[in-house]
Amino acid sequence: MSSNDNATRQIPTRAAEIVREYGPFDGAERIHGVTHDGQRVWAATEANVLAFDPDSGEVVRTLDCAAHAGTAFDGTHLYQIAEARIDKIDPATGAVVASIPAPGNGGDSGLTWAEGSLWVGQYRDRKIHRIDPATGAVLRTIESNRFVTGVTWVDGELWHATWDGDDNELRRIDPDNGEVLERLELPHGIGVSGLESDGADLFYCGGGSSGKVRAVRRPKSATR
Amino acid sequence: MDSLIVAAGRALAVGDALGALDRIALRDDPPALALRGIAMAQLGDYPRARELLRRAARGFGAREALARARCVVAEAEVALAMRDLGGSPKLLADAAAALETRNDRANAMQARLIAVRRQLLLGRLDEAAASLAGLDASGLPPSLAAVAELATAELALRSLRTAVARAALARAFEAARRARVPALIAEVAEAQAALERCAARTIHAGHEQPLRLDQVEALLASDALVVDACRRGLRVGDHWQSLARRPVLFALLCALAEGWPGDVERNALIARVFRTRHPDETHRARLRVEIGRLRASVAPMAAIEATARGFELVAREGRTVAVLMPPIDGDQASLLALLGDGAAWSTSALALALGDSQRTVQRALVELEAAAQVRSIGHARAQRWLAPPLVGFTTILLLPAALPPE
Repeated sequence: MSSNDNATRQIPTRAAEIVREYGPFDGAERIHGVTHDGQRVWAATEANVLAFDPDSGEVVRTLDCAAHAGTAFDGTHLYQIAEARIDKIDPATGAVVASIPAPGNGGDSGLTWAEGSLWVGQYRDRKIHRIDPATGAVLRTIESNRFVTGVTWVDGELWHATWDGDDNELRRIDPDNGEVLERLELPHGIGVSGLESDGADLFYCGGGSSGKVRAVRRPKSATR
Repeated sequence: MDSLIVAAGRALAVGDALGALDRIALRDDPPALALRGIAMAQLGDYPRARELLRRAARGFGAREALARARCVVAEAEVALAMRDLGGSPKLLADAAAALETRNDRANAMQARLIAVRRQLLLGRLDEAAASLAGLDASGLPPSLAAVAELATAELALRSLRTAVARAALARAFEAARRARVPALIAEVAEAQAALERCAARTIHAGHEQPLRLDQVEALLASDALVVDACRRGLRVGDHWQSLARRPVLFALLCALAEGWPGDVERNALIARVFRTRHPDETHRARLRVEIGRLRASVAPMAAIEATARGFELVAREGRTVAVLMPPIDGDQASLLALLGDGAAWSTSALALALGDSQRTVQRALVELEAAAQVRSIGHARAQRWLAPPLVGFTTILLLPAALPPE
């Protein structure tokens, strides 16, 4: 993105409001990806994907599968980045039903499902790819100017998380040109590894090596 | 972090360096370079590991101070394993501070412990003691707690406080057991065994006897006049007189102390000190001169009296005399003791640690190499020296600045 630094000054910016923290969970030192299936929050913890109830905070399900980065849910299946591939997982059994190559060849970080496609954040390349969930073919690419960790879509808004040093943010970007439209600044020293909206007022954010998942309030934006 | 970095990091954490390299061998982004560096270090290729860690540290952006600091610490640890002690302590201290301000206590502690181990290897015991005193090891992972206790034990051993060392080693063993790191458990066990081994010999009234470290401590705490051939000097209680730079005087003193409580014949002294079996008048004149110098040097602690056939050493206030000898013979005992830790040392690191010039150390090494007591690897600046460990002997007393304070 070219004109971004100048544009940054006019962008609506506010402090992220952390509503609740979950974890750390037993046996899970780090969180690498987060998704939401309408009821439960799923978190990728390297050796497992676990699901917890956001009301009680209790872990209700643990799937035994490699989970090194982002997680997504398409209404039926979980998608999980592991090594340099994306596994399609049956959440009932934990079985991997299909795998496609990840577009960043292992440099992938965030993952979400929207509009019949998977959206993949490529960390240090500062990119978001829209890919075909059946083949892994890249359909289009959006560029950001910060390291991309989590990505999520909610109400037609594309949000991504950054983890690029000590001061990080959730940012809403224009899916057409990557321009930053809105920023939520996280407290100093807190990064986000994995981002998913609950479809309503909350974002769930993976907290990396803190082992936590944080719920952040989504602002009422001017466009809604 | 991205997916393959996480997967590779996971492989490294369980010691699968090849598995980690499999995933990131072709990547040149800074996190991948850092992991490749750590993998190479685990595989023992230290020069390559350092190069990769340096490139990684340079590659991280201005915003990534935490990642850069971790690379600096990892590189410092590799340098320590290579016994390259010439690195900048400031760089490491800055990295530790950067880690502390970002709440990475474990890596900050790792950085501080590397600095302490470096000071211990260089024989800077006061600095090491000050650094250790400032560390708060509470709530740290057991592996780091074990390393901290090992450093405490090493410091106590080298200043001959065996009870303190024993207690620290017991805590180190407990921590190493909880950490379940076999190499660490072995290192603690080895240090504990060192306490039970022969650390020195004493010659007292003509009888030679091996001593454990705690017995050496007891001897030095006793009220005897001790002629210390490990550190080349003499001491009574807290009073220490070094003769390290007066080799002839020290050789004379040793000969007289070994003969105590009797006297030692002139010709025997000449044979020992001037290395000749055919003494003439000039030798006897030189002996008188050297005895005069020695007498002046040791006057506060002992007298040297002429007898009918030679000279005798008389300690003040009727004290007994004991000679403390290295567990092994030879002028190069200190050098061998340093190399005895099994690591590869550069000539410059040895010179730094011994307080000798590089030339002196180089000459000694060449002699030892000819005698097959040391071996070298690499050439020119990359040359490193190795010796087999001195199995059966703890070498603590021969390390520089071991005791007593000068």
